[in-house]
Amino acid sequence: MKHHLRLLLNIACVVALVFSFACAKKVTKEEIEAPVDTNLNANEFQEITDPAIKAIFQDIRFDYDKFVLKAESKKTLTAIAGWLKQNTGKRVLIEGHCDARGTAEYNLALGERRANSAKAFLAEQGVADKNIATISYGKERPTCEDTAESCYSKNRRDHFLLSK
Amino acid sequence: MLKLYRIIALLLFLCAATAATAHAKVYIDIFNPSSRSLPIIITPFKASGDFDREAVGSKAAQVIADDLDFSGVFKNIDANAAGAGLVDGEKIKWDVVSMLGAEAIIVGSVKLSAGSAVFELRLYDAVQQRQMVGKQYEGRAEDYREIAHRFANEVFKTMTGAKGVFDTKIAYVKSEMPNKDIAISDYDGANAHMLTSYHSLTIGPAFSHDGRQLAFTSYKDGNPNCYALGVDLYRGTAKGAAKIVSRKKGVNITPDWSPNDERIALTLNLNNGNSEIYIQTLATGALERVTNDWATDVSPSWSSDGRMLAFVSDRTGGPQIYTVDLAAGRFKRISYNESNYNTSPAWSPRGDRIAYVGQVGGRYNIFITSTDGQYQQQITSGQGNNEEPAWSPDGRFLAFSSSRSGQKEIYIMRADGTGAKRVTSGRGSKAEPAWAPGLMNQ
Repeated sequence: MKHHLRLLLNIACVVALVFSFACAKKVTKEEIEAPVDTNLNANEFQEITDPAIKAIFQDIRFDYDKFVLKAESKKTLTAIAGWLKQNTGKRVLIEGHCDARGTAEYNLALGERRANSAKAFLAEQGVADKNIATISYGKERPTCEDTAESCYSKNRRDHFLLSK
Repeated sequence: MLKLYRIIALLLFLCAATAATAHAKVYIDIFNPSSRSLPIIITPFKASGDFDREAVGSKAAQVIADDLDFSGVFKNIDANAAGAGLVDGEKIKWDVVSMLGAEAIIVGSVKLSAGSAVFELRLYDAVQQRQMVGKQYEGRAEDYREIAHRFANEVFKTMTGAKGVFDTKIAYVKSEMPNKDIAISDYDGANAHMLTSYHSLTIGPAFSHDGRQLAFTSYKDGNPNCYALGVDLYRGTAKGAAKIVSRKKGVNITPDWSPNDERIALTLNLNNGNSEIYIQTLATGALERVTNDWATDVSPSWSSDGRMLAFVSDRTGGPQIYTVDLAAGRFKRISYNESNYNTSPAWSPRGDRIAYVGQVGGRYNIFITSTDGQYQQQITSGQGNNEEPAWSPDGRFLAFSSSRSGQKEIYIMRADGTGAKRVTSGRGSKAEPAWAPGLMNQ
């Protein structure tokens, strides 16, 4: 009797195991290869000082909790793409920023999406992928610190740096 | 910096028989929500020997009083109100103690000599008029806080049967515009000093469960990479240089250690689109992808059994809290309130609750929910923004950041939202607390 019970238990365990594997197969998670580290070199980029170039690489703004490019931002980005295609020796760093409201961690993710929105647009315009780098600063690098929409809107931005 | 290896609890004064009784009986059932606080008197400790210039006797008693009061398990009775002289030589005036309504009393002495301080601290049951705990500590006079915290833990353990958190540390992000570095202090904010000094952006600290490592994100090498820094919790210092955990292109943020410290859940952006949650096995570097959608997924927090993660996703519009059963791949939204902006999940070490932040009426406040999202409770309100909840290792308290006094500072409170107490001060805002496990775990 005891022997039979143990056998039954064993079978139950095997069934449970098989079942759990079956479940695992439905899961969305997947083992993926670690991609090659293409870390940003902080010293490669600098603020644009040439007034003529700076006039092209203007900050683009975003709505609250949004990363969709506005019509005027697309205009700015089209001009930036034009310059980059003529100056293929230069790389651009797109910094994604957020306003002070909301959670630091979520804003880091949001800032990255804002940078990537601009990157995708520049790539569509024909700028070589290797010439576009991105970084998110979330809400960590504000240009102003007032608690007013006039300041918040300035901070919800993509800011552009060029390689030295 | 404290050098506590010099402190030795020398003697247990209790005889074995009473010790056994004391451990068997739990005086306060802290798991009973209707349990009342135990009225206790903590007398200033009498100093002898060298003149007590720093008044360590009264300061140590105050540290114990603050610890026990914060726990909510005890109610301090102001002994000064009844005048001094509760203790006459070796004798406690039980009639006065009883008149004040105290059911327990702590008395002590400190003997000071050059470079050393010997504390004798005792807890008495005031009803039965007998000693329950007696400890002698030898250290330096400036170690009085650590000695007091350790005795407070003894008292807490004796009365509740549970381990106290009074000897624990917290780490937090300290801002020195435009930079941020990580500071560490006692759980009550004392002995604060910088743990990192990269003079870059260093954020999102998370302790391993064995308390030996602190993971965080730093821009110190340009990209927001994830690092792990060895820490000596006992001394509150870093051990060696930070090691890279993840340096993928894009964000490497919001690390959280699995319960066995073998894996780290974190947020990466490997496909130039939106951030996703991954689990990295530390020994091999192997990555397992947890989320796969068009939305922003961020801020994973492990369940205490390691089977689930809570995280933030804006897959339905604004950010909300979700859980995922890792084996079954089942996702479930668990934040339900009037807010369209819920973030910063923190899974309780006890496993039964998740703290998070919700934005209601333009203010950020802390909520607690059961892990299935059925039961939601807002535990802070009406005082600035209250964000970034982090559980104490026993799941009884929360550290968080609050703007209630102006610039963001770190606060601690009981998990029901009562007893909030500011623990940081001084220049530069503080945020993102992480509560370290107890020293005894090491």
